[in-house]
Amino acid sequence: MEQPRHLRILRDIAAVFVTFIFMFPILWWALTSIKPISAVFDKDRVVFFDFVPTLINYAVTLLGLSRSGLAIDQGIGMGVGGAEAYDSRHAILDSVIVSIGATAVTMAVAVFAAYALSRMAFNGRAAYLNWVLGQRFMPPIAILIPLVTIYKDAGLRDNDSLYGGYLGLMMIYALMNLPIALLLMKSFFDDVPKDVDEAAMIDGATRWQSFSKVVLPMVRGGVAASAVLVFIFSWTEFLLSLFLTTSIRTVPVKIQTFVTSTGNEWGFIAALGTAAAIPSFIFILLVQRHLVRGLTLGSLKE
Amino acid sequence: MISEHPFPWLLPASALMVIFGLYPLLYAIWLSLQRKHPVTRKLAFAPTYNWSKLLGDERVWNALGNTLVYTGAALFLQLILGMAIALLLDSDRKGYGLLRAMMTLPLVIPPAVTAMMFLLMLNGSFGVLARGIIATGLLPPGFSILGTASTAMAGVLLAEVWQWTPFMVLIMLAGLRSLPKEPFEAAAIDGATATQVFFKLTLPMMSKVIAIAVLIRGIDLFRAFDYVKVMTDSGPGTATETLTSYAGRIYFGNADFPYASTIALLTLILVILVSFVFMKACKVKL
Repeated sequence: MEQPRHLRILRDIAAVFVTFIFMFPILWWALTSIKPISAVFDKDRVVFFDFVPTLINYAVTLLGLSRSGLAIDQGIGMGVGGAEAYDSRHAILDSVIVSIGATAVTMAVAVFAAYALSRMAFNGRAAYLNWVLGQRFMPPIAILIPLVTIYKDAGLRDNDSLYGGYLGLMMIYALMNLPIALLLMKSFFDDVPKDVDEAAMIDGATRWQSFSKVVLPMVRGGVAASAVLVFIFSWTEFLLSLFLTTSIRTVPVKIQTFVTSTGNEWGFIAALGTAAAIPSFIFILLVQRHLVRGLTLGSLKE
Repeated sequence: MISEHPFPWLLPASALMVIFGLYPLLYAIWLSLQRKHPVTRKLAFAPTYNWSKLLGDERVWNALGNTLVYTGAALFLQLILGMAIALLLDSDRKGYGLLRAMMTLPLVIPPAVTAMMFLLMLNGSFGVLARGIIATGLLPPGFSILGTASTAMAGVLLAEVWQWTPFMVLIMLAGLRSLPKEPFEAAAIDGATATQVFFKLTLPMMSKVIAIAVLIRGIDLFRAFDYVKVMTDSGPGTATETLTSYAGRIYFGNADFPYASTIALLTLILVILVSFVFMKACKVKL
């Protein structure tokens, strides 16, 4: 059914306009990150493009340079304060370690369970799937308060001994992401016909060999897509990180510390926020094809 | 062979769910049955203390009301916008693929960062959105949207709707693309209008997809925390306090772990109850 030309053009304009509305906050945020402080705080008018771009916000948050030194170099007098408080390199490192670790743990645990749930018939299989799904329904706050006490006793709140803080956060992120990873992987395993493993086992392969040599390589794409989603959810998580850790600050928690009693450091907030969004943007574009399946825990396929 | 048995395959996942999920949950239930002495800070078994305190606590009802308003308003807006935008972007013509890809970007920004973005844009004196609204004359100059009890919830919802409408768009698009072609061709031959096609064909055939989207979004909305914590810190007063943020305030405030756990468990019970009824009523399964 071909639409008339003028309707098509009208639709194109509407589609671009709507997409632009959704892109606007991101663009505004990126713009704010390269504005000098005076342009952010202008009370007389909204500054769009008429400012001298500066990378000072990135230099302070990502490279750990001293703001007062940079401000004097660039002749900006405003906002002279401690530099360490805004140096976010450690927070970025914490976030990277925790997110990668959580992704590794989640996927390692989920792939095996998903294979068994896809391939083997056993009593309580449906109940087990419901238990997994139940984790997705559980609001994190329900287990958070006891977890603080448990973590404190087990040394999982901070990095005082054996990087316990990293481990603690990784494990709870693994639990929160388990339903997505497991059910998504199960749906990918379900897509591989059972004849494939049966043929391998008739040829003398054990269950383990048919899994690791035959079926797992066939769902590589699914493993990658699930891992990316788990990484993004770990990277963006806020509540658990805020409550559970002391010395570790992931990026979403760190950025909140730029809100100070003397005013919010919008330039630094925007710079770190933009920098934190970029890895997720790249990853999400890589897994576009499996995104809907992932977000609906494998129940809708594109 | 040992690998023939499901047990070893399920062991790691089971261990994770027992140690980090089930054990803290049982602990939370145990905590909710304890009373924390205000002075000695010792716990004593008092099974009904927190639960009866909860029933008489006006802030719980306020937080529950806010959670329901937040969940309901966000679901409604995201569903309508999501469906409308999905219909708009569902085209095979050049460039639409790029628009659809761009539409997914808001989803992956850390919600705590999104909250900061809107905190800046809604600032009454220099925020671009607030200035825009003020310029239309709807609000007086310098008006603080997030600092005023009557508008704070709307401000928080703006961030929520911006970030998660794309989720609905994606799911609706997937639903639209999986529809069979024949009924639509038949309707076109019969001369059905676009409105008729949408309400008589598209919507009923999409009902399963819509139900799944509502269920997943609903359970996430009910635990609302990030935006209210960052944008208004549950305020002004308790105007945007949700169940999760109230439990968090008690936890950080007077450290009454038993009572905070009780409120958290109430949230869990409500999520399970509502989603169970929803799944039965709409015959939907995840």
